[in-house]
Amino acid sequence: MIFASRRSGALAVPPLACAVLATGMALAASAPFDDLRRQPPVHGDAAAGAAKAVVCAACHGSRGTAVAPTFPNLAGQSETYLYVQLRAFQDGARDNAVMKPLAANLTDRDMHDLAAHFASLPPGAARPVAQKSPRGDTLFHDGDPAAGVPPCQGCHGPDGRGPRPDLASTAPQPAWSTFPALAGQNAPYVLEQLKAYHDGTRVGTSNDRVMQGVAHNLSEADMAALAGYVSSL
Amino acid sequence: MCKALIAPLAVAIAACLASAAALADSSDSARVGDIQYGNALDPTGWAPLLWPDPRGFSWLHAGMMRTPSGVLYPYPPQRDDQGSPLYKDSDWVYGGFLQAGWLHLSGDTRAEFFRQYAGWKSGIALGLLALYADNPKTGQYVEFRGSRLSGDDQYYRLRAGQYGNYKIEAFWRVIPHDVTTDAYPLWNGVGSTNLTLPAPLVPGGSTPAQVAAVEKTRPRQTIGLTRRRAGLSFEDKLWGNWIGYVSVVNEKRTGTRLWGGSMFFNYVLPDNGGILETVRPIDFSTTDIGMGLRNVGNVWQFQLTYTGSFFRNHKDRLDFQSPFQLSNVAGVPQVANIYQGQFSLEPDNDYHNLRLELSRDLKWNGHLSVAAAWGTMRQNDALLPPVTCTGTGGVFISPSANYTFDCADWNTTAALSQKTADARIDTGLFDVKAVFHPTPKFGWHAGIRWYREDNKTNYLAFNPLTGQYGYISENGSQGSVVPGEVGIFDPRNPLYWSYVTQVRAIPFGYTDSILDTGIDWRVSEADTLNLSWSFDRNQPKYRERKLVNEQRIKLAWVDRALGKGTLRFSYEFAHRDGGPYNYDPYQPFYSTALPGFVTPPLGNAAFTTDAMRKYDLSNRIEHKLRAIVIYPIGDTATISGVVYATRDNYGAALGRQATRNRGVSLAWDWQPSPATSMSANLGRDDSRLQFSNVNDFENLLGQAGRDNPAFGGPLYPFANQWADDDRERDYNAGLTLRHDFGRVRADLGYTYTYALGKLGYVFASPGALSTTQQPFVATVGNGFPDNHYHINTLQLGFDLAFTRTLGMRVFDIFETGNFADWHYLGLQNSLVIDHKVYTDLGPHPHYRANLLGMMLNLKL
Repeated sequence: MIFASRRSGALAVPPLACAVLATGMALAASAPFDDLRRQPPVHGDAAAGAAKAVVCAACHGSRGTAVAPTFPNLAGQSETYLYVQLRAFQDGARDNAVMKPLAANLTDRDMHDLAAHFASLPPGAARPVAQKSPRGDTLFHDGDPAAGVPPCQGCHGPDGRGPRPDLASTAPQPAWSTFPALAGQNAPYVLEQLKAYHDGTRVGTSNDRVMQGVAHNLSEADMAALAGYVSSL
Repeated sequence: MCKALIAPLAVAIAACLASAAALADSSDSARVGDIQYGNALDPTGWAPLLWPDPRGFSWLHAGMMRTPSGVLYPYPPQRDDQGSPLYKDSDWVYGGFLQAGWLHLSGDTRAEFFRQYAGWKSGIALGLLALYADNPKTGQYVEFRGSRLSGDDQYYRLRAGQYGNYKIEAFWRVIPHDVTTDAYPLWNGVGSTNLTLPAPLVPGGSTPAQVAAVEKTRPRQTIGLTRRRAGLSFEDKLWGNWIGYVSVVNEKRTGTRLWGGSMFFNYVLPDNGGILETVRPIDFSTTDIGMGLRNVGNVWQFQLTYTGSFFRNHKDRLDFQSPFQLSNVAGVPQVANIYQGQFSLEPDNDYHNLRLELSRDLKWNGHLSVAAAWGTMRQNDALLPPVTCTGTGGVFISPSANYTFDCADWNTTAALSQKTADARIDTGLFDVKAVFHPTPKFGWHAGIRWYREDNKTNYLAFNPLTGQYGYISENGSQGSVVPGEVGIFDPRNPLYWSYVTQVRAIPFGYTDSILDTGIDWRVSEADTLNLSWSFDRNQPKYRERKLVNEQRIKLAWVDRALGKGTLRFSYEFAHRDGGPYNYDPYQPFYSTALPGFVTPPLGNAAFTTDAMRKYDLSNRIEHKLRAIVIYPIGDTATISGVVYATRDNYGAALGRQATRNRGVSLAWDWQPSPATSMSANLGRDDSRLQFSNVNDFENLLGQAGRDNPAFGGPLYPFANQWADDDRERDYNAGLTLRHDFGRVRADLGYTYTYALGKLGYVFASPGALSTTQQPFVATVGNGFPDNHYHINTLQLGFDLAFTRTLGMRVFDIFETGNFADWHYLGLQNSLVIDHKVYTDLGPHPHYRANLLGMMLNLKL
């Protein structure tokens, strides 16, 4: 599903503005948008993906561990998450000057296989730190209700290795498989993405909109603390 | 784990609900005016802005959230950006929406049920103008909303403020209320304080045929009123946690209302007297002032409020002329031609109330709140003279039976014991409540409430000019027809020293004390029980009972184990009794209590029968039952049903016997996607009221036994008992459908209402009927014809989008009505029946009306 691009989370919109702007006008599609809310888990051929991952290794490493901390580690990541990211790079819902041309010529089969390959690799070890950030720990596990910041563990799992959904709940279930693991992720990369959410420059998927609402109330220091914390998990 | 999951969900939900919450005109302490702003075209006041956001309910999931009971939340309204900067590099952004166009009415557009609360008018109309500007950095905002169907139906509201700091609100609105559009008042001067008869009618000298002939020439008029409301409020954070606020609202009501105009009995004395349906003016203004100071601390909460209300009636009387001749039933021909009547209308009055509330948290997750208030209501208007007649009224039979009176002794304020009303009612309130939840599964609450209404009004109807007590009834007409029924008591005159009449205002008041307590117990994850008990001790003053006690117990059960559904069940039982019942507690306020009253040899006629029980004081047993089921169907639909029944039995041989209410309703809501929603509802309600009374044996009123109040006695024989059975059955059905096709959006609505009224009666013998009706007992039957009220309303609308900012709405509202109401039977032939003059012809028996609208939608 494609929607018009919007630049801010609902929490930031003043009351009457929300009402006034519901004008009864049809919306014109103007920017790519991936609605992931009905995205089912995907499964590709990891072996086939390994053969197609030669180019990827230049940045993400042959074993899925990035060669530089500004790139994300992919090893052990959610297979569906990796797939929808490749698809977003391809259709323009996620903008990245390097990834866009690389994804442009991938087939859907390629994206499935690449995702399966990196998901099958063992995740790298956590980055050793002298002391984990207490503020990051708090934000990750408890959030900051006074500032309107929810705890990260709700969607990314208490250990940062991915969500632990309560599938017995009768409440509508999010597309859990599209949520990434954060444990051991490179801090500079995480910080860059949090800033993108905060600034409204990464808003091309429904999950981005969720993160936009989360990051909106994070200060720069909090974003740095969180990035450092998740990389230490 | 669950808690951790809930937090981000909550944020996402809050984000999506933020706009929905903004649409709710929720009330708070500083609000002025009305909670809801809307009109017949758009009762919500927001309809053009309420199309669901196609992005759905939450970015987290594609499904819908439900309330804890299982009801689907509505999709949040659509929005597409944050507005435009007010100027380059401005932190302020603005936006707006305009819907304006043309309305065209056709068919029976004056039908009163089509216009009752709608100021429809063909021509240009403003559907909605909504503007906003706000500064996300500072939290400052300005909002405006307005709509105008016609000059008599419009509203505008302006809000401004800064979140967490201050807010200002101002509004102005005009609300129509038509009572009837088929009125043919006989009089000139409708809307003024003086109703005069049109030529060639002669006040006090016209025949029914002459009046009927003139009545047929009178123009049709609409009877109703218009409310013009304006208000202003300001709330500010003064210092720390202290917040102060002040508000002023003024409402002016102008128009007319159907009214009465009695010139003594006509039913008893055909071709005499007069019963007139007149029209009175409405010209009120009410100014409400509120101010307060509150502090919400961590432990203590404090609030002090003052509320004042000032009512002013700019037309405080109604004079009217009666066309009919009065004739005295005995004595020499009447000496004064009484044809003028007068009503004293509502007086100016003031109301003040000061309220202090304190509350604080307690141990065991408890909370204590204490409130005390004092209020006073006062009116001190100048009183009108008792009559407006001139000359000599009454009846002269002989020098020793001279029942005349000199109008000059009564048509002046010098005939009053006091020049102004000096009326006052003080109120006091003390209320304490405590709530504890020592465990998540158990809660307990208790409260005591004490309220007193102390009426300090003490008016004595005494004429210092004549030394007489009482009030000349019906401007002297009654005493000018029946000798002696002037309405006055005179301890010096044997003609009047046994006359029973009210001479003092009765200062009704009461003290009410309520004790209540209850527990909440969560028996399991799926079941919650609530048990509460209350004891209400009411002590009325100058009423038939000095003490009325009511105990009430309520059991409620909420069960969520019914599959995915929720069952709410409650049963309530109440028992009311009290002290001894005095069928005539008003003697201290009647002439019988005055010195010089001479009890006649046959005694005073009984005030009423001793078996009569007034419904608000009689013994009563009440049962209430209610069950609500809400059942989700899949992820997108909900079906709900309500069944209720209430049964009241009154411990009274005469008076209200019983009431029954029961009903059932079914509703189905379906929201398969943000683009589509549909709902349907069906309902039926039944009510029944049974009443019994006894007709007095009128022939006994001048004979021995007239002072006997016993039911079954000579004045109130069992044979004169009657009973009525008033039943009403209401059906309603509704259907709504909305679908967003993209560039076209369609909405359909249909409502059906049908009310069936049945009023039956039985009587023990013809003695139960009025003496004038007894000869026609064979035709009386056992009930009035049934009343039928049918209304169908169909609405269809299309919203067309031409561009992102420009569109159009085309819609049609078609309404039909069919009515049959025995209250208006026969009036189609003539509004004048004998000496009775009616004004309202009643609702149109059949009507069809249509409203076609074309509106331009423009995003600003």
